[in-house]
Amino acid sequence: MRRSRSGMMFAGLAAMSLAAGCGEGHQETNGYLPPGVEVVVELDSATVARDAALEPGALATVVADTVVGFTGPGERPFEVARRSAGSEAGHSRRFGTITLQLVLRDQSPALTQYPCTSCHAGARVTMAAQREPDVHNDIQPVHPDTSGGVCATCHAPEDASLLVLLEDRRAPLDQSYRLCAQCHFRQADAWAGGGHGKRLDGWQGRRVVMACTDCHDPHHPAVEPRIPFRAPVIERIRSDDP
Amino acid sequence: MSENQAGDLPERGNDGDLLQKPVDRRHALGMLVAGAVAGAQALGACVPLNGETPEQREVRVLAWREYIKGNYRFMTEAERAETITRLEELARLKRHEDVTIQSTGAQPGVVFGYAFNISKCQGFRNCIEACINENNLDRRADTQYIRIFEMSEGEVNFDLGDATFQHEVPAEGHFYLGTQCFQCANPPCTSVCPVGATWQEPDGIVVIDYDWCIGCRYCMAACPYWARRFNWSAPDVPASEINPNQHYLGNRARKNGVVEKCTFCIHRTRQGQLPSCVEACPTGARVFGNLLDPDSEIRWVLENKQVFRLKEDLKTEPRFWYFTD
Amino acid sequence: MRHLGPFARTALRSATTGGGHYHLWMGALTVLMLTGAYCYSLQLRHGLGVTGMSDHVSWGLYISNFTFLVGLAAAAMMLVLPAYILEQVDFGRAVLLAEGVAVAALVMCLAFVVVDIGNPLGGWHLMPGLGYLNWPRSLLAWDVLVLNGYLALNLAIPFYLLYNRFAGHPPAKSKYLPWMYISVMWAVSIHLVTAFLLAGLPARPFWNSALLGPRFLASAFTAGPAFMILLLWFVKRNTPYPISEGALSKLALITTVAAQINLVMLLSELFYEFYWPTHHGIHAVYLYFGLDGHHALVPFIWTAVSLNVLATAALMTHSVRRNYRWLMPTCAVLFFAIWVEKGLGLVIPGFIPSPLGEIVEYTPTLVELGVTIGIWAMGLFVLTVLVRVALPIELGEARSPYLEAPPAERAVRPRATRARHEDVRPFRTR
Repeated sequence: MRRSRSGMMFAGLAAMSLAAGCGEGHQETNGYLPPGVEVVVELDSATVARDAALEPGALATVVADTVVGFTGPGERPFEVARRSAGSEAGHSRRFGTITLQLVLRDQSPALTQYPCTSCHAGARVTMAAQREPDVHNDIQPVHPDTSGGVCATCHAPEDASLLVLLEDRRAPLDQSYRLCAQCHFRQADAWAGGGHGKRLDGWQGRRVVMACTDCHDPHHPAVEPRIPFRAPVIERIRSDDP
Repeated sequence: MSENQAGDLPERGNDGDLLQKPVDRRHALGMLVAGAVAGAQALGACVPLNGETPEQREVRVLAWREYIKGNYRFMTEAERAETITRLEELARLKRHEDVTIQSTGAQPGVVFGYAFNISKCQGFRNCIEACINENNLDRRADTQYIRIFEMSEGEVNFDLGDATFQHEVPAEGHFYLGTQCFQCANPPCTSVCPVGATWQEPDGIVVIDYDWCIGCRYCMAACPYWARRFNWSAPDVPASEINPNQHYLGNRARKNGVVEKCTFCIHRTRQGQLPSCVEACPTGARVFGNLLDPDSEIRWVLENKQVFRLKEDLKTEPRFWYFTD
Repeated sequence: MRHLGPFARTALRSATTGGGHYHLWMGALTVLMLTGAYCYSLQLRHGLGVTGMSDHVSWGLYISNFTFLVGLAAAAMMLVLPAYILEQVDFGRAVLLAEGVAVAALVMCLAFVVVDIGNPLGGWHLMPGLGYLNWPRSLLAWDVLVLNGYLALNLAIPFYLLYNRFAGHPPAKSKYLPWMYISVMWAVSIHLVTAFLLAGLPARPFWNSALLGPRFLASAFTAGPAFMILLLWFVKRNTPYPISEGALSKLALITTVAAQINLVMLLSELFYEFYWPTHHGIHAVYLYFGLDGHHALVPFIWTAVSLNVLATAALMTHSVRRNYRWLMPTCAVLFFAIWVEKGLGLVIPGFIPSPLGEIVEYTPTLVELGVTIGIWAMGLFVLTVLVRVALPIELGEARSPYLEAPPAERAVRPRATRARHEDVRPFRTR
């Protein structure tokens, strides 16, 4: 599962999807995570027992990593769901007989099939200040445009699967919260505390949250408007009127 | 009344089953008086009708025992187990549904609280969709526990709020505020019930024993948040859409003429899971947790956000707070 | 109790014999009752969904009638109080009729409650010991107790009086007078408890008012005596039962004063709601002026208030009040006006708009009307039977066959009804 990240090149703004192989098991060392290091999440026995009792498809199936750099209330570590191959099950939920996807943002199928490395392998790219035509046309750079960012503000030129933090540190793509939190610190505090973002499944024991980019498209973070589920019928529906 | 008797003809001897069972005085009285009330039903339970299949007979006997049972709140664990077995059997025989009904009690040291972020809710109503499916809500009458009100920015005013919006959301200049049962710490609905069919559990959830409710709807008049719903006719949920994971005090099948309400998904939350509305919310506007756990998400919101509740002047002490980012 | 058999037989005979008009009347009531029973069977089969009620307006015509009729039942006290306790001779003969009205009204009350509940087979859950009565916490539990208690009192006291009259021995004051006192206080309680049942709900600001209890009493003591005047006048015209002019005029006076007090309270409510309109006044706005294009109750309430004012003004005019030709229609109008004001105009707007501001109006369905009319027919049926049984006994026409001497020489009546047998005439046959 481990892949070499050296020499990967990435031009333009990449979508934040955590395609297979793009980020599993990182450990922070001075902002840069050497490949091949996996973090094993230590669970206390009570949590393990609770997870075992859960219905199939619930929290137990969520693949998650311990959050780096944040703790929840009471200094308690928590986990962030990992968006990698095989873990989609944890991101949808069954209510009665329907299954609802818990994400707002669609995972781009293109990136699953053509991960960044399929194009950006082997050579360092020079990121232009402006996005080149015909490249990554699906990306609407609303957020970079309004905040004065360019591709290289967030994406590491030497490795498409890394994000650029302040002081030239690096973080893997699935630690987007570390990048976002540099400006959106209030939201990040709320996220760590429980007031922002989604908790997956449990109110006790193990806490698994979703990452910023699971809901917000980093290039276009606003929630997409859509038609809601059907409206309530205010006047009572009469049935069996004789 | 096991299945291997299914082929037998109705036998008189089986009647003894009901009569030989040790009954306490209350049950005996119950049989006598209630029998007088429900004349036809009583007659049916004592005299096997001609041409009745064993299955029909079993349903009749089970239904009769269900009729004379007491208030769930005062049942012993054994009585609770018995009624649950009967209800599961009745669901199987009458509606061909294979359901599991829990009687899971409240966890010690847990009181549930809920917070709703009015900055985040965008009015998508995924919570309502999940709630309908999770709680086996009547599809024909389109019962919904949750209401999402579209309000103009600037004030929380229900007179101007609209829950029937059906356009692309979020709408410009509006915010969205959801209501459901607030599981008040001081619930007006439970104290008015003349038969004690609704009460507050130790974990704060206000529940109803649907089989004990007489359907007077006094609790509906007493609720300042319009949280209770009545079954104006027999609820209808297609068999293919039944959620078989049920709780006696929660989403099990209701009947005609009784009141029901949101229970914070008691069958899920008592197992450590989140209510379905919280899970289904696509914007993370809903926060749920244990108020007694200082490290819980709900406590973080209460300690770090400006919160308000609805109609605080009524002293109902809802365990449901609204907050903004 | 050896006279019990003949008493029952005589009662049955009195209730089942009569002229053509009587049979026509009872037949018509029976038809209406059967229609009501059919409508109720539809409701039982399909659920309360056949009524116009909804999750928003969860009480409707049934509970409206219930609150009104509790007042009518309580109004029997208006006659008991002066007749037995203040020893006012005048009302003595009317008291039994008033208690008959109370019984009929209570029967209707209980019937309206039964048809209103969704799970009537669960009724045994209310029985203390067998089920669980949430007393003293629930006002509805109180109401169950006081209504049944009042019914028992109003059945027991007249039965005791009538039975003794029938059996030819004088009723012992020590045996019935204490119960009379209790009954009087009980009458106030049934109406106050019913008012508190609504007023105790902070969720519904339209009812959550300290004035609701007194208003209930004032309106009850308007509609109740108004109904009694009509009944007494009818009895006076059609039977030899002696009702004095004094009793009627005193009742008219009571009605007048109560109607005035009722109007003052109505005025206070209107002032409170409209002088400085708060959010809580929105129900009154809906009731009197309509809200957001919804104004189903507006014509009803204005009709009721207008008729109420007109009838009260008429009663305040001595010449009108003293003239039966005017008094009777005035009382009928007043009765109707209070029924609308206190029934429809009190219960339903409490639900509109809902606590969350949604406006859903309420219109009773045909099934609901059928059940309502059936119950009213049942009440009138009960009242007719009770009056029909009581009058011959009171008149001394129906006596136990075991008695040898004529009742006038044996019976020592309480002061209220003593020495009135000179006026005995046979029933007028029509």
